[in-house]
Amino acid sequence: MAETKYIGKTIPSKEGARHATGRGLYTDDFTLPGMLHAVILRSPHAHARILKVDPQAAREPPGVFTVVTPEEIEKKTHPFKPGRYAAGLKKAIPEYAGAIGKVRYVGEPVAALAARTRGAAEDALELISVEYEPLPAVVDTAEAMRPTAPLLFEELGSNLAWKGSLHYGDVAAAFNQADKVVREHLKIHRYSSTPLEPFACIASFDAASKKLTVWVNAQVPEVIYDALREALGLEDVRVIIPDIGGGFGQKIHLIRKYVVLISLLAIESGRPVKWTEDRSEHMMAAGHSCAQEFDVEAAVKNDGTVLGLKFKEIDDVGGSISTLTIHFTNKLNNLSNTYRTKNIFLEGCSVVTNKCPVIPNRGIGKPGMCFIWERMMDRIAQELDLSPIEVRSINLVQPEEMPYTTPSGNIYDSGDYPALLKRALEKIGYEKLKAEQRREREQGRLLGIGVVIGVEPGGRNAARDMAIFPEMKESPGSGGVNGATIKIEKNGTVTLFLGSPNCGQSHETTTAQVAADILGVDPEHISTSTPFDSDLAPWGVAAANSGNNFHLYDIGAVHGAASRLREKILTLAAHVLNAKSEELAINAGVVQATGSPLKKISFAELGKIAYGNQALMPKGFEAGLQATFYYTFPHGEPNLVPGPEGLVRAQFTFSAGAHVAVVEVDKETGKVHVLRYLIVGDNGAVINPQVVNGQIYGSAAHGISVALGEGFVYNSDGQLLTLTLTDYGKSSTMETPRIEVEHRPSPSPFTTLGQKAAGEGAAIPSPAAIASAVEDALRPLGVRVRELPLSPEAVWKLMQEAVR
Amino acid sequence: MKETIKVTVNGRTYVEDVEPRLLLSHFLRETVGLTGTHVGCVIGECGACTVILNGKLVKSCLLFAVQADGKEILTVEGLAANGTLHPIQKAFVEGYGLQCGYCTPGMILAAYYLLGKNPDPTEEDIRKGLAGNLCMCTGYMQIVEAVKEAAKQLKKA
Repeated sequence: MAETKYIGKTIPSKEGARHATGRGLYTDDFTLPGMLHAVILRSPHAHARILKVDPQAAREPPGVFTVVTPEEIEKKTHPFKPGRYAAGLKKAIPEYAGAIGKVRYVGEPVAALAARTRGAAEDALELISVEYEPLPAVVDTAEAMRPTAPLLFEELGSNLAWKGSLHYGDVAAAFNQADKVVREHLKIHRYSSTPLEPFACIASFDAASKKLTVWVNAQVPEVIYDALREALGLEDVRVIIPDIGGGFGQKIHLIRKYVVLISLLAIESGRPVKWTEDRSEHMMAAGHSCAQEFDVEAAVKNDGTVLGLKFKEIDDVGGSISTLTIHFTNKLNNLSNTYRTKNIFLEGCSVVTNKCPVIPNRGIGKPGMCFIWERMMDRIAQELDLSPIEVRSINLVQPEEMPYTTPSGNIYDSGDYPALLKRALEKIGYEKLKAEQRREREQGRLLGIGVVIGVEPGGRNAARDMAIFPEMKESPGSGGVNGATIKIEKNGTVTLFLGSPNCGQSHETTTAQVAADILGVDPEHISTSTPFDSDLAPWGVAAANSGNNFHLYDIGAVHGAASRLREKILTLAAHVLNAKSEELAINAGVVQATGSPLKKISFAELGKIAYGNQALMPKGFEAGLQATFYYTFPHGEPNLVPGPEGLVRAQFTFSAGAHVAVVEVDKETGKVHVLRYLIVGDNGAVINPQVVNGQIYGSAAHGISVALGEGFVYNSDGQLLTLTLTDYGKSSTMETPRIEVEHRPSPSPFTTLGQKAAGEGAAIPSPAAIASAVEDALRPLGVRVRELPLSPEAVWKLMQEAVR
Repeated sequence: MKETIKVTVNGRTYVEDVEPRLLLSHFLRETVGLTGTHVGCVIGECGACTVILNGKLVKSCLLFAVQADGKEILTVEGLAANGTLHPIQKAFVEGYGLQCGYCTPGMILAAYYLLGKNPDPTEEDIRKGLAGNLCMCTGYMQIVEAVKEAAKQLKKA
């Protein structure tokens, strides 16, 4: 493809029109004949033994079809297999779709029922009688690790459910050679991306054929597919994923519990069953990002060079063992951030508590890793009396070192980190801002400038966890696979089947641009098949709105399928036109021989031949105009699987961004106002600038909102106090700042079009940028920022403590 | 015990028997069958279910269907005429003022109401006008820009 007409340009959104006219189709929009409505009975206790569940009264009202209790869940379903998210689990602990024997967090599902209407179901739910023996709640990790603490899982003998460590290079030598060791204790709180559409699912079971079909707003079809087969012992499972009202990781994991429960109700009742979660259910039980605590030490030279980094992490993983280690293991994805430090030690502790289980959320542990590095860079600068820019600059990986192999085995494909930083400072007017800050400080204004830099890993390698858990019994696989199918119908229409569902990242638009350039058609004439349907889609392990996989696996697959189809088109056209395929060009759906104006044929004419006229096909030509391609990353080696040194690529592409936050702290209230927020980003070759900008704006806005106060709060009894979006503190148009974005792309030398990831990106460095800016604003008071969130209350307390 | 209500939605009148506890949002989605009105919280804080009731911007999850008896409602489905997008819808589509699409119908109706009252809004006016509608995807940037563009186009027309 010599030149591109659509790749690299903003074209009108292909999803946009249906969403803007209210014709998007989400799971809750579907109705099946005879469909029942389900509701879930949840635990009101953070920690309790379930003594007795009596569903009798709930079964009596005429509209009620089926009630399932813990007893039935245990009898009629199997526990989930401990997946890769729980790879560190020492002892097998069966986890079912509902609580069995004990509840371990407020909102844990206990029972479920299905009735003719949602109203009848809600009325009947109140008739299920549950007798609990409340147990003391464990809500604090330090408390949880005390030998006398009540145990969440007696089988483990401790609430410290996993502990492990990794080291790279010679960490001891680094600390011996250091001029100084800089120490800090850092914390990140519990938050989520709170997608606007809660979980929803419809299950329909055909008892005669034993086929189960589910419609669900899940981000990863594999999780649902495997869960249903494991839990219900079924072979024939079809997963349909309609439009999803936002995912961000939230709809990957815990949603499987509900799909199993609703499917069980459908099997038991013989009717299709729909369930839609409500907002407070989502807040209490759909999953939270992990609260993380870090003890960090950096071995530094007097010039700011970081020789070594050590950190010990304590993760508050909540009341389930099924996602025990995800926030620790994801530290490997950006362990080095943008820096050259060779010697790194990390230790992780996963502690179970009586809170909502943790789940993947936009970047998982990566915002934490960036927070560690960027907080330490500021701290090192303070302690050595250097500028924070100088300290960062001296440690940055240099452009001439690309592709650069990090100590843990990641290979940074391309990038010019010093240039990103330099451009960000230029564009924000750093020196001028500093001068303004000095002047304004004299007037008593608390202005702060935070400058940080971070990488955004993309394209997951399934083998990563083998480096952390060499004892893993079941191979997690390696690399990633996803497919795409593209076909020309007999009337010339181009139809694209993607291997992944779409939850708002414009997959249909971006893939159509790629296919359009390869096939020589207008993207408007490409129709993408929705919803995702596991019976039809060419999907693999990377079929996921997760791991920043789309740019690598889906684009690679679409590129491969379209290229294959192009060959087929040219072969058929060359035969029909009696031309050589090298002489043929395709434009606007017409194949034309260069230099022979009369030798041309349209896709519609080719379609008629390919699907119905054998005599006109070349010998040996496979009829039809369709191609499928399954993509694996062709540059997966080296470090695809860990060797004896344990080096592995956690992800395959590395975007990067320099962020600058300019803030003002209100002295009276502690409220932080973001005056400017700038990102200079490298997302590789950009396929659609407005799509990529949208991902950057959205992820930055979330990271900023997280840093400034959104989050989950529990009381000491383990009751969640933030059950609504207002209590939780979600930012509206009024709190969200304008975000400025400039692209400085370094195309990846390894990917199909030079593209890199953009989905999680700005959520990774933005919490660190806000922390840095707030600390800078409070410098006159000598405040050190160690914790998120920086809510008005927290900032006010920091100021009060400083004054004292 | 059901109540009979008469509600006009996007110019068409519906006479329906409804339970008194049925929310207006669910009446629109389930009884009338217009699923463009989305539900994100059921307590009036997210704005996904925003519609226009007798000229006023309302959150349909905070009203019972019976409260709409005798009234006129405009939902997102009533904006485009025969497939021709309203200038606000067009600006959202062309300017990527949407991602997952779940907040979009409510957001577009809030913008429609705002531009009806204030055809020449500042950015601050737009942000205030949309403050009752949450979006978890976009960071609001392209939404605000789309409303600015729509205002420009509506003034031209």
